[in-house]
Amino acid sequence: MATVTADHTATTHGEAAAAASPRSALALHVALAALAGFVNTSIWGLTGGGYFWPVWVWIGLALSVALHAVIRRALRAPAGPRRAFEAHAGGSAILSGLLVMLWALTGSPTFWPIWALLVLAAALAVHALLIAQGWIAPGRERELAERVDELTRTRRGALDVQATELRRIERDLHDGAQARLVALTMQLGRAEEKLADRPEIAQLVRSARVEAGSAIAELRDLARGIAPPVLADRGLTAAVESLGKRSAIPVEVDVDVDRRPPPVVETAAYFVVAETLTNAAKHAGGAPARVWARAGDDELVLEVSDGGKGGADPHGGGLTGLRHRVEALDGKLTVTSPPGGGTLVRAELPCGS
Amino acid sequence: MRVVIAEDLALLRAGIVALLREHDIDVVAQAEDAEGFLRVVGGHKPDLAIVDVRLPPAFTDEGLRAAIEARRRQPGLGVLILSQYVEPVYTSELLASGEGGVGYLLKERVGDVRGFLDAIERVAAGGTALDREVVAELVRERDGGGILAELTPREREVLELMAEGRTNAAIARAMVVKPGAVEKHVSSIFSKLDLPASDDDHRRVLAVLAFLRSA
Repeated sequence: MATVTADHTATTHGEAAAAASPRSALALHVALAALAGFVNTSIWGLTGGGYFWPVWVWIGLALSVALHAVIRRALRAPAGPRRAFEAHAGGSAILSGLLVMLWALTGSPTFWPIWALLVLAAALAVHALLIAQGWIAPGRERELAERVDELTRTRRGALDVQATELRRIERDLHDGAQARLVALTMQLGRAEEKLADRPEIAQLVRSARVEAGSAIAELRDLARGIAPPVLADRGLTAAVESLGKRSAIPVEVDVDVDRRPPPVVETAAYFVVAETLTNAAKHAGGAPARVWARAGDDELVLEVSDGGKGGADPHGGGLTGLRHRVEALDGKLTVTSPPGGGTLVRAELPCGS
Repeated sequence: MRVVIAEDLALLRAGIVALLREHDIDVVAQAEDAEGFLRVVGGHKPDLAIVDVRLPPAFTDEGLRAAIEARRRQPGLGVLILSQYVEPVYTSELLASGEGGVGYLLKERVGDVRGFLDAIERVAAGGTALDREVVAELVRERDGGGILAELTPREREVLELMAEGRTNAAIARAMVVKPGAVEKHVSSIFSKLDLPASDDDHRRVLAVLAFLRSA
């Protein structure tokens, strides 16, 4: 990648530096050619006329100017197939003009250049078609397009893997560490019962059980933070309803998502709602919030609005985090929060494969 | 009391069974998955089913669904759900699933043997046993200036303890007040929530929860 970028910069600079001189060089060329032609024509006039030989001089001068113009035009096109095509077209034009002029000067009754013109035109048409169909794509452009495709695909793949992995970690915690701690509290509870006649030891066992209980609670919060069980179990609609029920403010839920989007999209949508409702509960002064979501064939759109005082900072930590999450999926997050006008957070998440 | 248990993790299942048998509770059958659970419930007609929310084969909420289905097949079956997490959506579904006692406890509550056995007794008798975290979620749900805002902090506390399924006497003990004070709070709560008072603790709790769910 680095070399491609360097290359590109060099080309751009070269073009910029040369931009002023070719124009004046061509103008000078035209002026000199006109002067030479005029001098020759004058000599012909002064030497008594006769056969108008300066016509050949004029043709030669015109040819040199035309070549100059074509080369200049081709060099202004980006390097690669586009420049080759410009050169091809310019060359064909010069050759056609030359042939027609020769025909005119020789005064032949048949328009013999027609065959050459047809062949030139056909060749040019084929070349143009090849470029239009993308069979000859400009090298760097094609390389970059392929790279973008590849990066989009692999980024999405990485995010899919991550979402699936997080759910697996949640399940491993549930069946592993959490389950063992639960078994531990059960055993400690039974031990505590059997120590009714040794209250001081029973008290120790009891505090051990309470500690184990705290560890379980912390693991539970951690698990919910990485992959809420209800989202994996029931999907977005139930998970958003659950968020609404847990929220400290009244939440109206209008979510209609029949087909389940991929886990990574579902999780992003969930966290947009969770974070926004948390913000609303903190800043909207108890005003009710509303969650709306619809899923189309290739996009999930969701809106979370509240009737609070607005004025949310779209570049605040929480919203920036959400924006990153959404943009990583090629989605869009918009925040509308005029002072005094409530806050609306809208996320558009592509969910096609 | 005849009990069936559905829990896929052998470690936990063995622990619960051992605990119950030490206290002369008759564990008539055990199941590892939802299908097996429905089969043993059909075969043994127990008084109470203790069910883990997450069961094979998909390890999502099969246990909860199976428990609700079991209640549909055997009306009045007491169901005590054990889970490693509190989920208001699941609690609401369970509470809406018809007749009979229901409970939803976090698994680690089993370590509080006395409290766990009390919960089993209550649910088997047709009452409720909701984890304090479940109650906190259900109550917080209505925290945003709703009708619950009219309750005093003391009354809120009484309501939460009631929702866990405790009797007035137990609430009085928990709050270290006289039973008469609790009764006063309870009737005040009912008048504020516009619920007709009743002698039956469990029906009162269900009425309160119905209000919480529907508000």
